[in-house]
Formats: sequence, C-alpha cells, structure tokens
Amino acid sequence: MNIYKQEFKMHFKSMVIWSLSIACLIFVYLAIYPSFAKDAELLNRVLSSFPKEFLIAFGMTDVDLSNIVGFYGLVFLFVQICLSIQAANYGFSLVSIEETELTADFLLAKPVRRTQILTSKLLAAITCLTITNIVVWISSFVFLNTYSGGKAIETKPIILLLLSIVIFQAFFFSVGMLISLLVKRIRSVTPYSMALAFGMYVLNAFGGMIGKETLEIISPFKHFEPNYIIKHSGYNFPMAWISVSAILISVVGSYVLYSKRNIRSAV
Amino acid sequence: MNIFFRELKTNFKSLLIWGGIVMFFCFAGFEKFSAYYNNPELLVIINSMPKALLSAFDMNAFNLTTITGFFGVMFNFFALILSIAAAMWGSDIISKEERDKTVEFSLSLPVTRSKIITAKTLAAFVNCIGLLLITWGITLAATSKYQPDSEFYNFLSLGMLALFIMQTIFLSIGIFLGSAMKQYKRAGSLAVSILLGTYFFSVISGMSDKLEFLKYFSPFKYFDSARLLHESRLDMTFVWLSVAIIVVSLIGAYSTYSKRDLYI
Repeated sequence: MNIYKQEFKMHFKSMVIWSLSIACLIFVYLAIYPSFAKDAELLNRVLSSFPKEFLIAFGMTDVDLSNIVGFYGLVFLFVQICLSIQAANYGFSLVSIEETELTADFLLAKPVRRTQILTSKLLAAITCLTITNIVVWISSFVFLNTYSGGKAIETKPIILLLLSIVIFQAFFFSVGMLISLLVKRIRSVTPYSMALAFGMYVLNAFGGMIGKETLEIISPFKHFEPNYIIKHSGYNFPMAWISVSAILISVVGSYVLYSKRNIRSAV
Repeated sequence: MNIFFRELKTNFKSLLIWGGIVMFFCFAGFEKFSAYYNNPELLVIINSMPKALLSAFDMNAFNLTTITGFFGVMFNFFALILSIAAAMWGSDIISKEERDKTVEFSLSLPVTRSKIITAKTLAAFVNCIGLLLITWGITLAATSKYQPDSEFYNFLSLGMLALFIMQTIFLSIGIFLGSAMKQYKRAGSLAVSILLGTYFFSVISGMSDKLEFLKYFSPFKYFDSARLLHESRLDMTFVWLSVAIIVVSLIGAYSTYSKRDLYI
C-alpha cells in the first residue's frame, strides 16, 4: 500500500498535465468545428460521387466530417496519440526508473515480494491512466454538447470510442513495460515511448493510405480506428482481440521477467 | 574535440537504430508503392478528388502512380521520423549528463561550458546529417529501379534540404530545452509536447483557410511537399523563419547553460 501511494504521488503531476493538455486539445479542436462545418457538407457531397473501391483503397469510406461525431473521430485520433504516449511513458518508466535513479536496491531490499511491488506499481499507474481516461470522457461530452450547434448527437459511437480508451492505454502501457524488462537498461524513457507510440501511428497512417492491410495489423491505431467505430457503431472485433491478447501476454511476461530480473545496482 | 568524438561514439548506436527504423519504413512504403505504380485507373480518379479532402490526408497534388508523387507522400512521414530523432538527440545530449550523474565530471574538465555545448551540438548535428544521408541513400536505392526522371532528382534533393532544415530546427529547440530546463527530466517531455503540438497544428492548418495562420507555428508546414514539387524552390520566408528559430534557440542554449545551476 505504501508503494502504491508513493507511486501515485510520483505520477500525480504528470497525470494532471497530460489530462489538462488532452482536455485542451479536445476543446481547441471542437471549438473550430462550427467554422469548418459548412465546407464539410460540400466535401461530403463530392465524396459520395466517387467509386467505392477507390475510397476503400484510401481508407476514406468512413469519414463523415459534416457531422460533429464524424469530426470528433478525427479529434479522437489526436487524443489517441497523446494517450498512447502517456501510457507508453508510464509503462517504460514503471520499473526501469528505479534502476536509472539507482533506487532499485533500496526498493527490493524491502520486505515485500517482487510480484507485490510490481502489482502496487501497476495499480498506481492504472489509477492515473484511469483518471486521465475519465477526464477525456467528461471533456468530450462537455465540448461536444457545446459545439454541436444545437443538433442532437449520436451518443452510441462516442461511448464506444471512449470505451476503447481502456484497452488502448493498456496496450501501450503493458507493451512498454514488457520492452523495458526485455532490454538491459533504459537510460531515457521518452525516446522509447515516442518510438513505440509514433511508430504505431505512422504504421497505421501510412498503411491505411494505400494498399491492403499488411503490417498495420499490429497497431492499436488500426484496431481501434475511430472512423471504423463511428461508421459501424461497433468494434472491429478480430482486430480488437489482437490488442487484448498482446496486453495479456505482456502483463504475464512482465511478471515472469521482473521476478527473475537481475538488477543493476549502484556502483 | 575529445568530447565531440566521445559523443559521436555514444550516439552511434542510436543513429543505427533510427537508421533501421527509416530503412524499415522505406521498405514497407515501397512495397506498397509497387502495387500502385502506373495504374492508370487510379490516376483518373485521383485527379478529380476535392482539394480539401486530399489535403486532409496529405495527398494534396500528389499522384501516387508516379515515383515523384509517392516520394511527396513519404516526405511527410520522413519529416515526422527525422524530427522526432532530432528533438530526442538534442534534448538528450545535454541533459543526459545529469541523468547519468556524470555532469560533475564533465564540467570539471578544463574546458568552458560553451565549448562543451559546441562539441555536443556538433556531435548531434553530425548524427542528424548521418540519418539524413541514410534516408537519402535508401530512397535513392529503392527508387532506382523505377528509373526516375531528372524532375524527381531535383525534388528529392530539395526535399532532403527541407528535411535538413526541419531537423536542425528541432535539434536546436531540443538543445535549448536541455540547457534551459532546471530539471533534466522536463527537457525530454517538453520537447515531446512541442513536437506533438506542432504536428497537430500542421494537420489542422491544412483543413481550413481560417486556420492557415497556424502553419507559422509548425515547422512541419514550413516546407509543404506539394509546393516543393510544383515551384521547385524553398519558400524564403520560411527559410528565414527557420534560421531565426535556430539562431535564437542556440543563443538561448549558450546563455542559459553558462549560468546554469546543476541538478544533481
């Protein structure tokens, strides 16, 4: 319990900053929607005249920007990028930070099992990620209602989108944790988390643009593509399972690796 | 000079990793391109697409059936990858001394602090150039089998020049943050948030005329690949703006680092 509290305190500030900046992001983007809406309607009309095969090839079948929910799908992609970096940051630093700051010997000398340490740390990080998640829920609904221009909003796709955040965060968090335990030592967390988060994003963005699915099936950005969820009002199931199984494997793997880990100590 | 070589050596592995990422990305990209090369049906459709839509997807004025158009699309992704690498190197190279608790050692060496920054900046700069050359080389190698024309080579060199300027901008911002932040941990996260912020600006600024002013805040938009292709020159306003950003951040780095209290 002490470890949990300590960890929570350590994450607290970064969590507040992330949550506020994501809320700001949602606010800024949804605030520009009203000025954008008019062009979007025109755009939609033009789009509908294209042959379907072509739109599929370019991944543009599911975009509907004339509706604030469709526009929210675009905003949500940015939210996803931010969330993925935050979660990856927490995942990579969770255990490795003890080793870089040379506090691992101290922590592991405490009369608690390693699995217990990992569990407390996990729970603390999950608490912080969940708080960010809740902030995203609240700010999304508040700003969507403010800027929808009086039109009723379809809530189901939005709720589905927001529900996917949990798995999305868990993916980057647990994969980050697993990688941090696989490598010998992590000097600095940000390059790793940037590479993981942006790597996955670029993989999906680039892959979605042309051609058939190949490598991007490993990317959660593909598994929970906002446009797909909005269009179909449901998840892309076989894809979502890839994420879920990656999470399970990473968590189990992390426990195994951490309980056997050789800790690099000071001097 | 010793510091310079020492930094080059320690960063070499990271350069290789980033080079690997670029190579992997190129490979994946050109694999996809092979399906689109000279596909006339697509050509007709692309030309009749609405502008706003294409620009939202960064495909403005690009014809994916030609190697030139394809590189124009790849350019945006290269810009993202190379900028991340540059920002990471820049913010890391100064602040890592404090993280690894080696700063007392390196500052007790008989060199001035500004010399340390110069050596480190140069080392990171050489790294950036190295990564750029890797990118250039891989692109040349991957495109050679499509027998590109001279227009493509012009576009390629211009694009590389633009990438180089973007790298330098993010590198110098990173170095400035590394020297100016009181706590070494903040430098990296601030560099990340600047990168994210400017990237989001670049995406949104292309979508509506009213938001076009945002492009002044986003180095990703300084050198639009579509304009590079059609006007085949860099926009001088933005070149000067970039130079100004670079100079200001480097001056900031030197002046803050020489007065800096160490966080140990």
